[in-house]
Amino acid sequence: MTTEVEYGRYPVARLAVPEWMLKVERLGRVYGPFDDAVIASTGPEVGSSKSALNGAVVAAWDVSFEVAAGEALGLVGESGSGKTTVLRCLAGDVAPSRGEARLRTAAGDVSMFELDPSARRRLRIDTLAVVYQDPAEGLKLNISAGGNIAEPLTAAGWRNFGNIRNRASELLTRTEVPINRMDDLVRGFSGGMKQRVQIAKALANSPSVVLFDEPTTGLDASVAAGVLDLIRSLLEEHRIAAIVVSHDFAVIEMLTSRCLVMQHGRVVENALTDQLLEDPHHPYTQRLVAAARS
Amino acid sequence: MRREPVLDVRRLHKSFVLHAVSDRTVVAFADINFTLTAGEHVALAGMSGAGKSSLLKSIYRTYRPDSGEVWLQIHAGEYVDMCSLSDAEIAAIRGHEIGYVSQFLRSEPRRGALEIVTRSARQRGMTDHDAREAAAAALQRVGIEERLWDVYASVLSGGEKQRVNLAAGTVHPPRLLLLDEPLSALDPENRERALALIASLTHRGVAVVSIFHDLEAIQRLASRVLVLEKGRLVAERSPDELDSRLASAAR
Repeated sequence: MTTEVEYGRYPVARLAVPEWMLKVERLGRVYGPFDDAVIASTGPEVGSSKSALNGAVVAAWDVSFEVAAGEALGLVGESGSGKTTVLRCLAGDVAPSRGEARLRTAAGDVSMFELDPSARRRLRIDTLAVVYQDPAEGLKLNISAGGNIAEPLTAAGWRNFGNIRNRASELLTRTEVPINRMDDLVRGFSGGMKQRVQIAKALANSPSVVLFDEPTTGLDASVAAGVLDLIRSLLEEHRIAAIVVSHDFAVIEMLTSRCLVMQHGRVVENALTDQLLEDPHHPYTQRLVAAARS
Repeated sequence: MRREPVLDVRRLHKSFVLHAVSDRTVVAFADINFTLTAGEHVALAGMSGAGKSSLLKSIYRTYRPDSGEVWLQIHAGEYVDMCSLSDAEIAAIRGHEIGYVSQFLRSEPRRGALEIVTRSARQRGMTDHDAREAAAAALQRVGIEERLWDVYASVLSGGEKQRVNLAAGTVHPPRLLLLDEPLSALDPENRERALALIASLTHRGVAVVSIFHDLEAIQRLASRVLVLEKGRLVAERSPDELDSRLASAAR
């Protein structure tokens, strides 16, 4: 119908794509001694992340991705697939066995895994925040909502009590926590409200990267919907680079534009989120999508 | 003078490997070639299962074609091959250059019509303020009453959802508009409005690839008809040559 034309007949446009804010290369975490043979004895083809050679668990291996400001990347997979391990390595909760994670900051690019512990803590205070599935991990439950938010602020050098209180009340208002609960202990809050306080705390110092680990798992459907809506609008307001770990495709579809699918510690597929949902290639992704759609 | 195409689809193939069914391979379409210039409207005809929707989704890259090229003009004289772009590049191109209107609104949870269309306008590169105005105008064009603008789109009727979808796809004239049965749920009055809207966009230079199930829409809007049969492009017709049997059955 049309004549055969050679390659390159069209002048190719160069596209402006947002530059990465966080770039992860060949990240791996192994529990137990390992060498190439141990690594090769695990993974999706073998059907396990635990090596039959020496019992080492290759929780995550060879995970690479980039996230730009204003973009949310999903990490999808069943429990035990390694997605939370990746997130915890980036958060600094778990030491990676291999790999690099570079973060763009005002002061230049930083290799996160090479920082000394105090610099790493500093990064967690003002640049990279985490919202955990379990509010008890991200919050001190025996402290008030306002006190929890004051913590990263004072760590970042805020000293004036009035300013700290104003900032805390601004954040709680934004995350739709009633201001009259500001001085109540978080312990007494409902699950959804705790999650909102955790989000408020994460945003305290306007981080450029936020990691969300199953942020709505375990909440009632309507409460989860409210928290999801909040996260969605926050991601739209602030040019945050976000990583969203979830096993729930509804969460992934709503928040992310691109995804990595993990199984047995490896990335088995990565694609745009609509591609994964409508044209999944890997057998594991096809199973996950079929399960979510039935 | 020969006009430069807006879209040039070359040797495009798409199949699905169904791992749950003994790795069965299902060919959606094979060896599709066609070009489209600005202001041209090409309708795809053929039976259901002929590969029409798969072709549109592959051009938009919701489906990942097995091989082939999809050249899209993005500036005067400059092109990208949608098949060789990175995911981030596709995400950037899509919202900016391509309007995709599917039969069903993939209704985002808990978003109102105005918000949905405004977001679409922002992706086209408009400022927040302009996007909101353009969205309001687009919703008016498709006849969505203002009292429905902030209602969650998921609770609107099928016809209303379809019109919100059309408003989002056409809020700012895209370079390429992909229409997959965009009128199927509309009453006569709204259908007429939508037909006029699509015609006016073509007139303004938007290149359109469409799927309509009725002959009248094809004959009123399309400049050419490509007939698909079992995933192959088997004929090219002018809309006048098309009879109703051909439109639906492509025999």
